[in-house]
Amino acid sequence: MANTDRQVNELIKREYEHGFVTDIEADTFEPGLNEDVIRRLSAIKNEPEFMLEWRLKAYRRWLEMDEPDWAHVDFPKVDYNAISYYSAPKKKEDMPQSLDEVDPELLKTYEKLGIPLHERAKLAGVAVDAVFDSVSVATTFKEPLEKAGVIFCPISEAVQKYPELVQKYLGSVVPVGDNYFAALNSAVFSDGSFVYIPKGVRCPLELSTYFRINAANTGQFERTLIVADDDSYVSYLEGCTAPMRDENQLHAAVVELVVLENAQIKYSTVQNWYPGDENGKGGIYNFVTKRAACIGNNSKVSWTQVETGSAITWKYPSCVLRGDNSVGEFYSVALTHNYQQADTGTKMIHLGKNTSSTIISKGISAGRSSNAYRGLVKFGPGAEAARNFTQCDSLLIGDRCAAHTFPYIESQNKTAIVEHEATTSKVSDEQMFLCRQRGIDAEQAVSMIVNGFCKEVFKELPMEFAVEAGKLLEVSLEGSVG
Amino acid sequence: MKPASTLSSAFLTPGGQSLPQPLLDLRAQRGTALADMPLPTRKTENWKYSSRHLKLSEELASALPTSGKCGPALAVPGYHVVFHNGVIVPEACELPDQSGITIQPFAELDDSLAAELAERLDNTLDAEAAQLARLNSARFEDGLYIRLAPDAVLDQPLFIISQTDASCSGSAYPRLYVDAGRHSQLTLVEEYISSGDQPALVNAVSEFTLAEGAQVTSVRLSAEGENVQHVGATGVRQQAHSRFDSHCVGFGGPMRRHDLQVRLEQSGANCRLNGVVVTQGQQHYDNHTVIEHVAPHCDSEETYRNIAAGQSHAVFNGRIHIHQDAQKSNANMSNKNLLLSTGAEIDTKPELEIYADDVKCAHGATIGQLDKQSIFYLVSRGVSRHEANTLLTMAFINELVQQIPVESVRETTQIRLNQFFETTFEEA
Repeated sequence: MANTDRQVNELIKREYEHGFVTDIEADTFEPGLNEDVIRRLSAIKNEPEFMLEWRLKAYRRWLEMDEPDWAHVDFPKVDYNAISYYSAPKKKEDMPQSLDEVDPELLKTYEKLGIPLHERAKLAGVAVDAVFDSVSVATTFKEPLEKAGVIFCPISEAVQKYPELVQKYLGSVVPVGDNYFAALNSAVFSDGSFVYIPKGVRCPLELSTYFRINAANTGQFERTLIVADDDSYVSYLEGCTAPMRDENQLHAAVVELVVLENAQIKYSTVQNWYPGDENGKGGIYNFVTKRAACIGNNSKVSWTQVETGSAITWKYPSCVLRGDNSVGEFYSVALTHNYQQADTGTKMIHLGKNTSSTIISKGISAGRSSNAYRGLVKFGPGAEAARNFTQCDSLLIGDRCAAHTFPYIESQNKTAIVEHEATTSKVSDEQMFLCRQRGIDAEQAVSMIVNGFCKEVFKELPMEFAVEAGKLLEVSLEGSVG
Repeated sequence: MKPASTLSSAFLTPGGQSLPQPLLDLRAQRGTALADMPLPTRKTENWKYSSRHLKLSEELASALPTSGKCGPALAVPGYHVVFHNGVIVPEACELPDQSGITIQPFAELDDSLAAELAERLDNTLDAEAAQLARLNSARFEDGLYIRLAPDAVLDQPLFIISQTDASCSGSAYPRLYVDAGRHSQLTLVEEYISSGDQPALVNAVSEFTLAEGAQVTSVRLSAEGENVQHVGATGVRQQAHSRFDSHCVGFGGPMRRHDLQVRLEQSGANCRLNGVVVTQGQQHYDNHTVIEHVAPHCDSEETYRNIAAGQSHAVFNGRIHIHQDAQKSNANMSNKNLLLSTGAEIDTKPELEIYADDVKCAHGATIGQLDKQSIFYLVSRGVSRHEANTLLTMAFINELVQQIPVESVRETTQIRLNQFFETTFEEA
């Protein structure tokens, strides 16, 4: 055991690899939030009147709301007036038209993160719409997408270019007053991605956005809106890393997916934000609202997420299955270590006939972390012959961590069938013994067992993500054996 | 936000003063603590699905009158204690005459024992989770105190018949406290029945403490009329190697709620909780269970089945909480639900809260309807549809009904179930 302990101690000391700060002059608002800030924000972005009205409506709703406290997480109260609500890289008047014009400091940052932004992007077959703090600075792969008729641009640009689409769909899935953080996001969202896949189009590329939080003390409020029109298909990848910081940074994003008749959206996330140090200091607060509306018949949404980062993760990617025969899927791996806290899961709301959903959730807690699955499966009276299968498993590594399961199951239709099962266990001594006996060291053995535990979810990820996810898990688990 | 409505102060005026002073003091103290207690709403996590059924109107605040007589004669075999509107009727009771077994109404306890009891009441129930159990503590007019000396074994089941006579509206607060000594054994049956047709509220609280190696089997049958709201709580604390077996059978009503909280406090303690709930018409039933594994090497096994027909509403919320030191815990929870009509609703929430790593915990929950193929199989062999439905529904819960260790309760349950099948499948 002594040997393992030493290994553990060495590994625990290893620091977060992606922790660095890029030194760029930022144009930042003074901290604080009021109607004036929102007006300024809207004006800077040169938004049409309806957007300002929409933001103000959200802000007024937000003022009336109380911060929710039901989640199984514990953190000091956030002072919303100590946050700066806008930060953009300088020289925004002359936005770069190509990569050559992009601030080399930024490019270096991306390089360190290994983001395939220029030629590598093409080779990897990935179009990247990178968000550096709040304003999108570079977009690649516009052409092949344009040829297919796909719109993939920063949402601030979409507001200018396609106001009718934005007005029609923005807030249609997550209304401004949906919840505290969604209201806040609606009021102050800075930027994000907008995707529109026209009728009958299968998006030729996997779309991808990398987020990065940079300037100190700036809350990051992304807004993503994806609309898949009839008979279309898109796969969307989202991945993130953030530099090391001591203060907690709030991140309250909103993702809305609109899926029309026969359309399909596959949304994959690898989240690896700074989780705080081994004493639980620092780290990102990740309070996200993600929801998909399957409006059309035969539509399908699939959420896949690998969550290894953030001090606190609080998110429930949901599906509202309104159209008949629509399908919702949720595959999740959430790993917590040190003092991380995660309260995550999904909501499957079955309203249409023959709707079906699958939930596979794998929670891994190590160190002194806490990992909760919270999910809702609801069958409305109209959900004839609807079906759900839920499996949530937890794996505990170490005797000071916690794993919880809070599933809510509500059925109002007798023909609907729901099955839920959950198990909690640790990496068994027998499994470890078998591996150790064959010369595999403890660290590797755990990593192998954990990877096997998560296999069902990883196989749902796009190829390049699956590789990354496996690696990420390995890195995140380092120092957890003992 | 508009302020939440609070418990009417009328509820905090207890009736009958014929209790020993320490218990009167306890009651007054609990009453004071409840002043301005906010009533549960849909936002109260614990009452999310049931708050709309709970109606604590002023007319229910006054205590139901206790005439000291019980209703129609009870044909209960063996030992029994009868509560009439929350007060024990001594002449209707038949008590065992065995050494080492003390069974006494609270009203007859001497001051020192009453003082000791006052210290221990409410210790088994978490105040926040079983909020309304505190209302019982503020209102009880009588109660039953059972103490088993070490190694005492009660030779027959003890029936506690709690009768509510709702010929006028009001509320009753029966109370039970069981102190099972080392290696003692007891089988206890709580039966809740009612007469009369005025709106009434029964708020019943039972508490059990099990010393090392004690074995207690508790059977609870809730079968009051359509005019009676029932809010019950059972709290259990178990020491080393003790065993608690619980069998709850519940028939729906306007508002039915049972909170069952078990704490496994020392190694080797184990519990088995079984529950069957049947609702129809506009009925409601809500079971909330909490099993706390505080010490290592404890086992728990929980099986609940709900059947909802008509426009009824059945709720199950089971929580298993494994504390940090409770290594080597085994906990299993299964909740299966049968939804017989689309107007009905079933809500279930099987929770796991785990702070130890070397544990085996699993829970499963399903909601579904009768299997069409099975029905077809039976019908194609000449079994009537009604019969087929009955058979399959019975099969769904029979496993649990058969485990009830007291024959008369099994029979009562079967009769009530047959009535249920009759009305439910006739209309279908």
